[in-house]
Amino acid sequence: MSVHEAEVAFLQLFEQLEIQRKPPKNRFPLLKLPRVVLLECIEHLDVLEIIIFSLLSKRAKSIVKRIHWNLLEIHLISTEQGPQIWLKLPTHSRVEWIIQYNKEKESSVYPVFESRVEGPNAFYHLFLYDNGIEDVKQMVEHICEVFHSPICGIRIFEESLIEWIIKFQPRIQYVSIDDKVIASSKKLDHALKNLKVTEHFHLGIVAIDETFQIAEPIPFSALSIDNSYWITLPSILNGVNSIIRLYDSKLTPKDINTILKAWQLGFKLRNLEYLEINTTPLPGFDGFTRESHKDLNLTESDRSDSRPSTV
Amino acid sequence: MSSTEQGTSSAAPAEPTTAPESAAAPEVPESFYYVHGKDKVVHKVSAGALQHSALIHGMISNLGYTEEQAKANPFPFENIDGDILQMVVDWCNQHKGKPTPPEDTNLPKQKEKLFDLVLAVNYLEIKELLTYCCKQVAMMVKGKSPEEIREIWMIPTDAEDEAAEKEAKKRAGKEAAGETAAAAGDAK
Repeated sequence: MSVHEAEVAFLQLFEQLEIQRKPPKNRFPLLKLPRVVLLECIEHLDVLEIIIFSLLSKRAKSIVKRIHWNLLEIHLISTEQGPQIWLKLPTHSRVEWIIQYNKEKESSVYPVFESRVEGPNAFYHLFLYDNGIEDVKQMVEHICEVFHSPICGIRIFEESLIEWIIKFQPRIQYVSIDDKVIASSKKLDHALKNLKVTEHFHLGIVAIDETFQIAEPIPFSALSIDNSYWITLPSILNGVNSIIRLYDSKLTPKDINTILKAWQLGFKLRNLEYLEINTTPLPGFDGFTRESHKDLNLTESDRSDSRPSTV
Repeated sequence: MSSTEQGTSSAAPAEPTTAPESAAAPEVPESFYYVHGKDKVVHKVSAGALQHSALIHGMISNLGYTEEQAKANPFPFENIDGDILQMVVDWCNQHKGKPTPPEDTNLPKQKEKLFDLVLAVNYLEIKELLTYCCKQVAMMVKGKSPEEIREIWMIPTDAEDEAAEKEAKKRAGKEAAGETAAAAGDAK
């Protein structure tokens, strides 16, 4: 056999591989492409298109999952219009993809795509009809699975989200719980014990028994707690927090003095970088600041509401 | 394939098609090769243009054809339609020795043509053109609703996939049973 004949035989062998026949007019049978080409086509889709494609069928989803995507930053939040899923890619710092649920239009109108540019930033919106929180949870789970990415942050705007996030992904960077979402001390205790917030935890007003108190530290790095009357001295003193912001605190001037002294001495609160305690002093008690700063080596701040620039 | 296009070649090693580059070296005349698709229309393409195709480039390197041998033995791509091969050849000629731009707007707009082009380009291993084609495929569904995407890309529903899988299993079972029966018949 000549070299050319061998070459022809080689080519004919390739011809036996499935080269698909004509697709119907104006259609593109994507799934009949060779696997590597199919994956390259999918890689050229944007984040919202990938999500839509992956929702078309189990096969479509499994194809998308095979691609090694960059880690997607996923945030579940809520606005006046309804729940939103915010998505960002580290490779596209000025682009955000937003899945927004609302009921502003007839359900048949959805999905709606919109995009806007604000300065150097671009926002791509996909509006979906708001059928309730279960749809939103399922969508977040789907996105996490498809992009092999964890939820980065969540704003808990209704109670069922607490149990859901504890079960689905208890370790999370940012958690914010809206006012009055927590309506019992049991629920609050459950959330604090089961969530593992690695960056920042914000808790709005809680509608719980006013006699409830906690003495254990809250093991999250940064805390910002409104209506924090239930947080006691030992809870702060034995903590490992780096940032603490307490509003409407019931800590006494003596408690605050103890915290400040312990922080200054350095035996406790070793991770603490910033402390803000907002209290309502008792009427007629004007020695609050004096007592809370008693016996402390203080450096006056050079301007209000800022940290001292010199020690 | 016509007899004039299908001549056999000798296996003897041929002269190298390109000389080593050096400042003083005289310019080497460009060598040409010949390809044809299903329609048997032969296209003359320079070695420079064919460098885009890893498959053909590999074949050229292995064969070491002389110009005459190449002319007598066009590469047959019976699995590629003539018009698609023409598009590929045109693209290779247009981008010969040039850096490829980030976008290519000259790709076919008809989806069925693009499908054939993607298959051909993948087969011929033309990486840059394949990237353009894949981008074009992705552009098809820009701003489209899920149902429009399903229609354009012919994505079956889960129920359709399950039915097809069941059918395939049934067929495979029948084939296996047929083979067993044939083997039993042979043994007798």
